[in-house]
Amino acid sequence: MLELRNVGKTYPHTVKRTLKDINLTIEEGEFICIVGPSGCGKTTLLNLVAGLEEPTKGEIFLDGIPVKGPGADRVVMFQEAALYPWLNVLDNVMLGMEFLGIPKEERKNRALKYLKMVHLSQFTEYPIHQLSGGMRQRAALARALSMDSKILLMDEPFSALDKQTTNMLRGELEQIWMNDHSKTVLFVTHSAEEAVYFADRIVVLSENPGQIKEIISCDLKRPRQIDQEEFVHMRHRLLESVKKEVEKFAKEEYDKN
Amino acid sequence: MQKKSTTKIKKGLELALFLFLLVVLWQILNMLFVDVFKIWKPYSAPSPAGVAFSFASLLKSGVLLSALLKSLGRGVAGFAISVIAGLILGILIHHFSYLNRNLKPVIMGMQTLPSICWVPFAILWFGLNNSAILFVVVMGSAFSIALGVDDGIKNVPPLYIKAAKTMGAGQGDLYLKVILPACVPSFLATLRQGWSFAWRALMSGEVMSSTIGLGQTLIIGRDMADINQVMLVMLVIIFAGVVIDKCIFTALENRVLRKRGLM
Repeated sequence: MLELRNVGKTYPHTVKRTLKDINLTIEEGEFICIVGPSGCGKTTLLNLVAGLEEPTKGEIFLDGIPVKGPGADRVVMFQEAALYPWLNVLDNVMLGMEFLGIPKEERKNRALKYLKMVHLSQFTEYPIHQLSGGMRQRAALARALSMDSKILLMDEPFSALDKQTTNMLRGELEQIWMNDHSKTVLFVTHSAEEAVYFADRIVVLSENPGQIKEIISCDLKRPRQIDQEEFVHMRHRLLESVKKEVEKFAKEEYDKN
Repeated sequence: MQKKSTTKIKKGLELALFLFLLVVLWQILNMLFVDVFKIWKPYSAPSPAGVAFSFASLLKSGVLLSALLKSLGRGVAGFAISVIAGLILGILIHHFSYLNRNLKPVIMGMQTLPSICWVPFAILWFGLNNSAILFVVVMGSAFSIALGVDDGIKNVPPLYIKAAKTMGAGQGDLYLKVILPACVPSFLATLRQGWSFAWRALMSGEVMSSTIGLGQTLIIGRDMADINQVMLVMLVIIFAGVVIDKCIFTALENRVLRKRGLM
């Protein structure tokens, strides 16, 4: 269980309060999406949970233990794959487990298992620069999953990919998550469609200061289809909520579809 | 691939032709100004033919080869010391912010000092011997290596470090498995630059001392008023520097860059 209690974040030398009074409890196995206009502090919120930044107010607890600094129980998947160019695909996936001190034999077995899951079995020996953007994110996903962290933090992991690749990867992530229902995911996105596609609950942030505007429960049947009536309805409801916050955000979304 | 190698050969031929024309021009100018107009004195104007003659005689007597090998050996030894010293110094000024604020500017200052300025100290402390030359080489190249190492670590993409931290990497793992491998391309560039500084410093040291080496051969040429020998040694110094740069450092750098898809 992840708990955020009165979390706030201000940066020195700026008047703007990035995050204010964030109270949120996430149960094990939940898929939570965070949406909001750009600049509202979505990524900051994720970084706070990851331990890459420290809150200026409030506290964050994972299973009752306060979060202090980054750790392998909260693995992050970034917008860019963050794979290491001097290692091939397999070695990249194995490196995370090496930090955990997992023996070599097991590292390899687990890496191969997850690479298979993301359909990269044929590419284990490839250098990173020969992979497409989608393949890189798949490898990053395999690496993140292989760490078997309590919670998986995802910071717009598909936003730099083209539409088709994004759709494919969404489907794969959903499948993997549905097969392993104990996985808690905190997923930052600027896409309403993506949020409705994945989330059990959607946290809508408002801008300046970034606060929780509302939390929308999203209990559509899985696997979800984006042309389902309920899906479209839910997406509209979410867009409405965010639209009032910032015109721009809504416009971006409509332009896209 | 086929096309690539043919363009490479083409480029090589072009360069060879250019250098050949340069030599021809040099010979013509020499003949015009020395023999026809008699403006240049023969003892101050080397000619390609004279240099070739000098090359043949120094090669035959074995002087050139032993001087070259001595200089190379000294250069490599001095460079090796510089690399170790520069690496340690570089990591220190990166890791401790106190040193970064205070020692780094001093090192940057030292780096601007031409290596020949260390020669008086070298002679006073070590005498006219090998150690003095090594001292000049190390002072001439270690600082640039230290600054390069610091810079290389600083330019590791923050995302690499962030990702490693969120995967639970400790300080040791972070340095050994992420930061150092990430630095390899910039480190090779640093070594290459360090070598060129070391090679220049070596010559500054060698012309001042009296041990066998290219620098000393150059000075002997001057003392015997043999301008062709001076010119020959200069060409050998350039040639040796370029060959080592291209065949070792550039080749190594290209290999790493290609492996990482950076070229």
